[in-house]
Amino acid sequence: MEVHSTERTLSLQTEKKYPDDELTIVLLMGKSGSGKTSMRSIIFANYIARDTRRLGATSKVCSFLNAVDVEHSHVRFLGNLVLNLWDCGGQDTFMENYFTSQRDNIFRNVEVLIYVFDVESRELEKDMHYYQSCLEAILQNSPDAKVFCLVHKMDLVQEDQRDLIFKEREEDLKRLSRPLECTCFRTSIWDETLYKAWSSIVYQLIPNVQQLETNLRNFAQIIEADEVLLFERATFLVISHYQCKEQRDAHRFEKISNIIKQFKLSCSKLAASFQSMEVRNSNFAAFIDVFTSNTYVMVIMSDPSIPSAATLINIRNARKHFEKLERVDGPRHSLTMRMR
Amino acid sequence: MESDFKPLLDQYRANESYAGADRNGCDSLDPKSKRPFHVEPRNIVEEDTQERVSAAAAVMNSRMQYYSRLTGSSDRLLIPPDHVLPAPEEIYVYSPLGTAFKVEGNIDGSGKNPSIVTIFAIWNTMMGTSILSMPWGIKQAGFTLGVITIVLMGLLTLYCCYRVLKSRSTISFIDTSSWEFPDVCKYYFGSFGKWSSLLFSMVSLIGAMIVYWVLMSNFLFNTGKFIYNYVHHINVTDLDFGTNGTERVICPSYDSDHFQNATLGLYYTKDTNESSFLTFEKWWNKTDTVPFFLVILILPLLNFKSASFFARFTFLGTVSVVYLIILVTLKAAHLGFHLDFHWLHSNRFFVAEFRMGLPQLTGVLTLAFFIHNCVITLLKNNKNQENNVRDLSVAYLLVGLTYLYVGVLIFSAFPSPPLYKDCIEPNFLDNFPSTDVLVFIARGCLLFQMTTVYPLLGYLVRVQLLGQIFKKHYPSFLHVLTLNIIVVGAGVLVAKFYPNIGSIIRYSGATCGLAYVFVFPSLIHIIALRRNGQLTWPSAVFHSFLIILGIANFFGQFFT
Repeated sequence: MEVHSTERTLSLQTEKKYPDDELTIVLLMGKSGSGKTSMRSIIFANYIARDTRRLGATSKVCSFLNAVDVEHSHVRFLGNLVLNLWDCGGQDTFMENYFTSQRDNIFRNVEVLIYVFDVESRELEKDMHYYQSCLEAILQNSPDAKVFCLVHKMDLVQEDQRDLIFKEREEDLKRLSRPLECTCFRTSIWDETLYKAWSSIVYQLIPNVQQLETNLRNFAQIIEADEVLLFERATFLVISHYQCKEQRDAHRFEKISNIIKQFKLSCSKLAASFQSMEVRNSNFAAFIDVFTSNTYVMVIMSDPSIPSAATLINIRNARKHFEKLERVDGPRHSLTMRMR
Repeated sequence: MESDFKPLLDQYRANESYAGADRNGCDSLDPKSKRPFHVEPRNIVEEDTQERVSAAAAVMNSRMQYYSRLTGSSDRLLIPPDHVLPAPEEIYVYSPLGTAFKVEGNIDGSGKNPSIVTIFAIWNTMMGTSILSMPWGIKQAGFTLGVITIVLMGLLTLYCCYRVLKSRSTISFIDTSSWEFPDVCKYYFGSFGKWSSLLFSMVSLIGAMIVYWVLMSNFLFNTGKFIYNYVHHINVTDLDFGTNGTERVICPSYDSDHFQNATLGLYYTKDTNESSFLTFEKWWNKTDTVPFFLVILILPLLNFKSASFFARFTFLGTVSVVYLIILVTLKAAHLGFHLDFHWLHSNRFFVAEFRMGLPQLTGVLTLAFFIHNCVITLLKNNKNQENNVRDLSVAYLLVGLTYLYVGVLIFSAFPSPPLYKDCIEPNFLDNFPSTDVLVFIARGCLLFQMTTVYPLLGYLVRVQLLGQIFKKHYPSFLHVLTLNIIVVGAGVLVAKFYPNIGSIIRYSGATCGLAYVFVFPSLIHIIALRRNGQLTWPSAVFHSFLIILGIANFFGQFFT
């Protein structure tokens, strides 16, 4: 198995491509204790610092001066999206502050609002109230934002009741969200629902994803691959995939994502960043490599007679083509970007 | 998610599946040596190998491996909760040799201690410094009455401990699996229960810390004296009233109108450097200076944020107790038995068998048998929970036997014809001169053990008090320092002006025993029975009697 890693040049490139002005925000909001920090840590492979955990819940009393919290400015994905985590509620005085004086700062330039509900919460009325306040703020400041609602900690509900409870919540939320459209998911960090929900969210955020999928299929068929996966670069969520025959393991995407994120964590300890990997045995060869500015590709070949170099050249050539695809539409965000 | 009811491992064992791997034309080398043991031998080319592990388990394993990388090893944030893990019967452990073992019992560590370990843990926790006061306590109550009292108090406190253990089961509809006895008190008695349980817990802890300070000063003083005399080759023949001969026993606090003041002594030194010796005597004084020297040593230890370092030294307590038992046996063997039974009247040398000092002994015994604030936690880890009561009783039996052994032997072996039984000190090691080597070792062991337990007690005080008042365990360095200075100051003051550990033990024992041993368990039992409508007259009378006993014990301390 060969692994290639570089010293940060790739991440620098991404950062230079999208200077801070053009950043748009993914807001991750929810009551304190609803599981946002764990979720962010798991999806983005961030080490959870002991201090934040010890405080019980992340208290984002921080810089109202910058719209982008210093802590979060490293969590970028899809090029110019930055993840911001905010606590909603807990103390009502905070809520007043949020929604009067600092409202514009928080809710401006928002591309996506992900609101997390704790399924166990006993204060449903209050939760809905906060949610609606957030929606109002979004309507005023970023009316084009996409809204996703995650009903989290579903593992605490008994299995036979999960569908029922989720349907109820979904109806309520859809009703409350009008005129905005919200997409609801039920999630838990202890099963595959979290990964699938975030994969769906990211899928909807990729600019021209259907075109990507068609091209991916062509690419796979041309190079005679068994399966080709496209991952988002920061989170290793599967954006799209093509497989030429039925695979047995339905959870393989999550497993690969976990393995690579663990590997990235190890690499980061050496201040190195992960670039590419080749895994080969007598039955198959797998190639993971950087693809476009937002994505990684994984190619699985089950014909061991095809030499690595051939596949790597194919991937390299395909990369140029896919980059052009991305650039044609460009980052949508710059079109709706507000001038400061 | 796939069915959780499918067992994780099929009957198909690892050894047999290796035969299948050969079919796809692997190397002829032994596949076992090349196969990493945690990879499932699933074949992507052929379809017909059976799965060893269900898909849900495989992805759960992958998830857990990944999540464990995201937090520190001691963080419990991303540890899978119980309802997410498969049942213990379905969990297998892979060994590197390729086989899989079924895990017996609970995985996460609770409930895995065999009975012996639990009994030992209870014995270890209960054995405290009150063992040093046992002979004095028997002396105060009279020999026969003392022995009877030890047995009866043991049984009484055992019953109350049983009540504490069963108190959680009286609460329905609430998950009490992580509750300790103070939480139960909070549930039954509300805010009064919360603050009173805090108060009584503080009494017991701070009382223990004061006793520790007095004892530590005592041991440090004697150790320092021994070392100084040894280094300077001083033969000490002090005129403490005591026996003659090699096994010397002294009576340090004898009346001054009969004999000389015990601190005077004749010292024969090799070189007549009297002035330096007198300086040493001035600067190394049991009540005046040593307690202050201790401050420099101990106060920094108290300010540490976490006490886990000190928790490693609990084995020292066991070693000290065992050594004490050996010491007591040796001394008794050398000194022989001196018992004379006078039933109701003390004479000069011996004490009566039944004396009015009984409350003093019961006060000491309440603290000696006190474990009620943590017995639930200790028994939680017992492997067979149905044996809890049996194991608790065995532990109490062993503790009672240990106390009886030490108390009776020292009392009997105390050389009465030259000395008076009344001489037995609250700390029986004080009855041996500082030149006694065996006792020096005992003092050294105990000193070292106490230095490691004292910060633990300080940590408990800090956590409970500051946790309740400020909601934080470590609000600021200043708060913690102030608290430590208060506690240490109390210890120093008591060590200087009233170093009688027997009294401190009995007062603090009776006070915290009033709440945790006698009143709360019985009251909770009565209330629970009444709520269920199962309260019978005999039960009510008996438990009220226990409460009255506790109150009598408490007030008895002030009147004797």
